[in-house]
Amino acid sequence: MRISVRTRGESFEFDCAEGEKILHAGLRAGIALPYECGSGTCGTCKAEVGRGEIDEGWLEAPGRAYVNPERSEFLMCQATARGDCAIGVHARVARLADGIPAPEAVAGRIARVEGLTRGVRRVAVALDRPVSFDAGQFMLVGTAAVAGRRAYSMADYRLPTDRLAFVVKQVPEGGFTDWLFAEDRTGSELDLFGPLGVATYVPSLPNNLVCIAGGSGLAPMLSILDHAIETGHFEARHGDLFFGVRAERDIYLLDRLEAYAGHEPERLRVTVVLSDVAPTAELAAAHPQLRFDAGFVHEAAMRHMTGRWKSAMAYLAGPPPMVDATLRALVTEARLTPSAIRYDKFS
Amino acid sequence: MSWRRVCATDDVDEDELREFKVGDITVLVANAGGEFFAYPPFCPHQETPLSLGMIDGDTLTCIKHLWQWNLKTGETRENAESPLLLYEVKVEEGEVLVNLEKELRYGYQ
Repeated sequence: MRISVRTRGESFEFDCAEGEKILHAGLRAGIALPYECGSGTCGTCKAEVGRGEIDEGWLEAPGRAYVNPERSEFLMCQATARGDCAIGVHARVARLADGIPAPEAVAGRIARVEGLTRGVRRVAVALDRPVSFDAGQFMLVGTAAVAGRRAYSMADYRLPTDRLAFVVKQVPEGGFTDWLFAEDRTGSELDLFGPLGVATYVPSLPNNLVCIAGGSGLAPMLSILDHAIETGHFEARHGDLFFGVRAERDIYLLDRLEAYAGHEPERLRVTVVLSDVAPTAELAAAHPQLRFDAGFVHEAAMRHMTGRWKSAMAYLAGPPPMVDATLRALVTEARLTPSAIRYDKFS
Repeated sequence: MSWRRVCATDDVDEDELREFKVGDITVLVANAGGEFFAYPPFCPHQETPLSLGMIDGDTLTCIKHLWQWNLKTGETRENAESPLLLYEVKVEEGEVLVNLEKELRYGYQ
């Protein structure tokens, strides 16, 4: 099927397979259609049907709150085409720049599941073929057993790779995580699409790194720090990682955080911030290379970064309220310009 | 001219944004350092409520993609692709009055 897209200023055409999401088909063809979450939540990929028929897919998608049915709007990340279609997108659209890995569908199976802490698992996936991605990006991950795909960031950085690792947090009534946590899923087949996301680490940028993560939002920061260390980022620049969770029992991958801080003791500070229960003296004594603080992670970042914001590039990931609170602090307190803040908005 | 009372100056704290309904029209009022401005309630980008946005000096920032404008003129700053529409505003005896002769809307196209 042929999809033609009218955007602000330009037109594009691409092929779409039967059952393929229109967004995926466009991205795969190297057309940078607007999207953020890719999973039905943010509403960024809304478009308007001009000619032809589409199947809207997931009707309960939260992102449908942003679409206006009177304007024949729909979410490209959920919809499939029933035949040739002409659609309109209310944004400027370009071709994907050279050097940006074009997303594609890839099959894989769960190679290993490892409990990290209560309700959080590391899931290693063996892919049928190698993929490339930028540090900070995510994949949409699905199984035939559950409708739809969920977005998970790569928690390691190695390229190209036929093995990806994700941090998966169990969510209440989350179809995919209910399935994943119900029993040992090692060997189960997954279908993935990606890489996606614009909150990427670019080694050539001269900025100091500030990574602010809440909960499972730590995953993309791990990939960013892996890449930053590998490319010698900290030889000339410094970095800060703030990792916020509720309580000590929610912290995970402490050994890996310690390894980062130990690798770059002068240049990379790692601060673990607990919002519900203040960190104990024992915790701090057991991990002398890490810093600990209490409160919300964005507040701790503001305290510890005083006087250090110059040339900063901030990366954020975490639950939407944490991301919003951090955005506010970065804009109105740290006074970073929008181009110095990288995140994928999932709400 | 169709000047309508939208709120009292005390209804919007300094450097805050708040929505008010006047008849069928929703108006977003900004108090920027004691000066008042009024806009349609949504971001011209993707209809995100600008009441969730933030004010810093004379810059208004949308929370969704950090589009920024000069809040006094609506001119784009940094990454915004469309200007902000402004209503005429006057303050009289502690009341914020807005000229609502015509509802301002964005094209979204």
